[in-house]
Amino acid sequence: MDFLLDSLISSFMLVASLDRELFSVVAVSLKVSITSSLFASMIGMPFGFFVAIESFKGKRMLITCLNTLLALPTVVIGLFVYALISRRGIFGPFDLLYTQKAIIIGQTILIVPVVATFTIAAISRIDDRYRKTAMTLGANRFQTIFVIIREARFGIAAAVIAAFGRVVSEVGISMMLGGNARGFTRTMTTAMALEYDKGEFTLAVALGIILLSVSFGINLLFHFFQGRTGQ
Amino acid sequence: MTAYSLSQVTKVYGKKTVLDIDSLKIEKGAIYALLGPNGAGKTTLLKILGFLDYPTTGNIYFQSTPVTFSQGFLHPLRRKVVMVSQRPILFTTTVYKNLEFGLKIRKVPKKKRDRIIAESLDLVGMNHMVQAQAHKLSGGETQRVALARAVALSPDVILCDEPTSSVDLENQITIINLLRQINKEKKLTLVFTSHDKLQATSLAHQTLFLDQGRLATASYENLFTAVLTAKERGLAQCVIQNSLTLSISSDKTGKVRLLIDPEKIDIAKNVENRNRENHLQGKVVQVAQEKGKIRVVVKSGVYITLLLSLEKYSEVQPMVGETVHISIAPDAVKII
Repeated sequence: MDFLLDSLISSFMLVASLDRELFSVVAVSLKVSITSSLFASMIGMPFGFFVAIESFKGKRMLITCLNTLLALPTVVIGLFVYALISRRGIFGPFDLLYTQKAIIIGQTILIVPVVATFTIAAISRIDDRYRKTAMTLGANRFQTIFVIIREARFGIAAAVIAAFGRVVSEVGISMMLGGNARGFTRTMTTAMALEYDKGEFTLAVALGIILLSVSFGINLLFHFFQGRTGQ
Repeated sequence: MTAYSLSQVTKVYGKKTVLDIDSLKIEKGAIYALLGPNGAGKTTLLKILGFLDYPTTGNIYFQSTPVTFSQGFLHPLRRKVVMVSQRPILFTTTVYKNLEFGLKIRKVPKKKRDRIIAESLDLVGMNHMVQAQAHKLSGGETQRVALARAVALSPDVILCDEPTSSVDLENQITIINLLRQINKEKKLTLVFTSHDKLQATSLAHQTLFLDQGRLATASYENLFTAVLTAKERGLAQCVIQNSLTLSISSDKTGKVRLLIDPEKIDIAKNVENRNRENHLQGKVVQVAQEKGKIRVVVKSGVYITLLLSLEKYSEVQPMVGETVHISIAPDAVKII
C-alpha cells in the first residue's frame, strides 16, 4: 500500500514539476494520436456516411466485417504494416519504419473501422424525416447531406472521440512500428511499458495519470457541448 | 388554371398496388381535402404530389408541364411545393434558423430573410419564439412553426399530411384557421389529408375520397367497415362499428365494407312510426352548402352524411345541435 501511495505522490510531483521528458512523451503521443484520428476521420466518416445512406448489395456483410475489424489486435496491424514498410516491404524505399509516420499509418488503419462503424450508427439513428424535410424545403443532394451530418454531429463527434481514445491508449502499433525511440517515437503507452520493465513506476504512473486526464478532459468537453444544445 | 393533372397514376410496392388513380385534376388556389381510411394511399399520393416519391406508372402535369421523375428535373419543382408531414420535424437549432434554411438555399438576401421570417412567424403567432430551440417546442407549436417554415418559402402548393392529428383540440382549431388564412392571403393551393370528415368538409373547397388506392366520388363518403350477421325478416343485420345496426338486402355474411348513399337518406324532425326499418335518431353537427345541395352531418353512433336538395332542406330546416330522425332505405346501402 505504501509503495502505491509513494508512487502516486512522486507521480503528481513529477507532473507538477513539468518534467521535460514526461512532457516530450506526452507531446509525441498526442501528436501521433491526433494526426491518426484526423486521417481516420477523413476516410472513415465519408465511408460510414455512404454505407449508412446508400442501399447496395452486401451492405449487411460489409457492416459485419467492419464490426469484426473493431476487435482487430494492434499487434496484427503492427505486423501487417511492418511487412509493408520494412526494408524488404513494397514501401521499404520510403524509409518509414521506426518513425512517427509509421505509427500514424498503423493507428489510422486501426481506427478507420471505429470511425466508420460509429458514423454508420450515428447516421442510421437520424430520423428519415430530416432528409425528407430538407428535400421538401428545396435542398439539393449536398445540402440534404449537410443537414443529416449536422443532425448527427454529436454521434459523429463521439466516433472521433472513441477513435482517439483507442489510439492514445494502444501499445502494439507504437512499439512495433515506432520502436520506442526516446524523444522521437516514445509515446505514453510505450514509455509506461518500458518504465514497468525497468521497475520504475513513478514515470509510468505519472503517464497513466496524464493519459486518464486527457481522456477525461475530452469526454468532459464533449458532454459540455452536448449539454449546451440539449441533445 | 390547373395546379396538378394526373392520369393513370399507380404506385406499386412489391406486389401491392397502393395507389391507382385514373384521373385527377387539382385546381390552382383551391383547398383540397384527401379523405380515406388508414392505408388508403393518402400519404403516398401526397408524397408523389410533393415530388418526394415517384409513381410506378402514369403521367403527372404540374402547372401544365409534364413531370419527369429524375433528380435534376424534380429539384426545381420541389422549390414550388412544400410538404408538411403528419409529425413535422424541426432541425435541432433555433426557430429562426429553421425558417432561414429554405430561404438561405434560395439565396434570399439577409434583410429580406429577416423580414419574411418575422412575417411568417407573425402569421402563425409564434413571433415571440423566434430564438427558441425548435426541438423544445410542444406538438402544436412545432406544427405551427412547420407551417410558418413552409409559408416563408412562398410556394405555389402546400401539402399537409394530417395537419391536426398530433395536436390538442385548441391547436387543431388554430391550425385549421391558419390553413384557411394562408390559402386566402397567399392564394396558394392547399392539399391536406385527414380522417376527420367534418374538419375536411368545413375547410376544403373540394373533398376527395381515397379507398384502397382508388379515388371515389365525393358523394361516397359514408364508408364504413361492418359485420353482417344472420338474416331477420329476409334482411341481413349489419352492425357498423359496434354502434349502429341496419337491416340491408345482402346474401353476404362476415366483415364487409359498405357505403351509404348520402342522397338516399331521408330526414325529418318528427316521425310517427319510430319502429320502422333503419330508423335512427341523431344530432345535427354540421350544415353546409355544397354544389347546389345541402350537406348535413348527423351523429348517430357514427357520423352519417346526408346530401339534401334545397327543397328538402327548406322543408325540414335542420339546425346544428338539433335532434333529427333519419331513415336509411335498405337499397341505399351498397357493399363494396
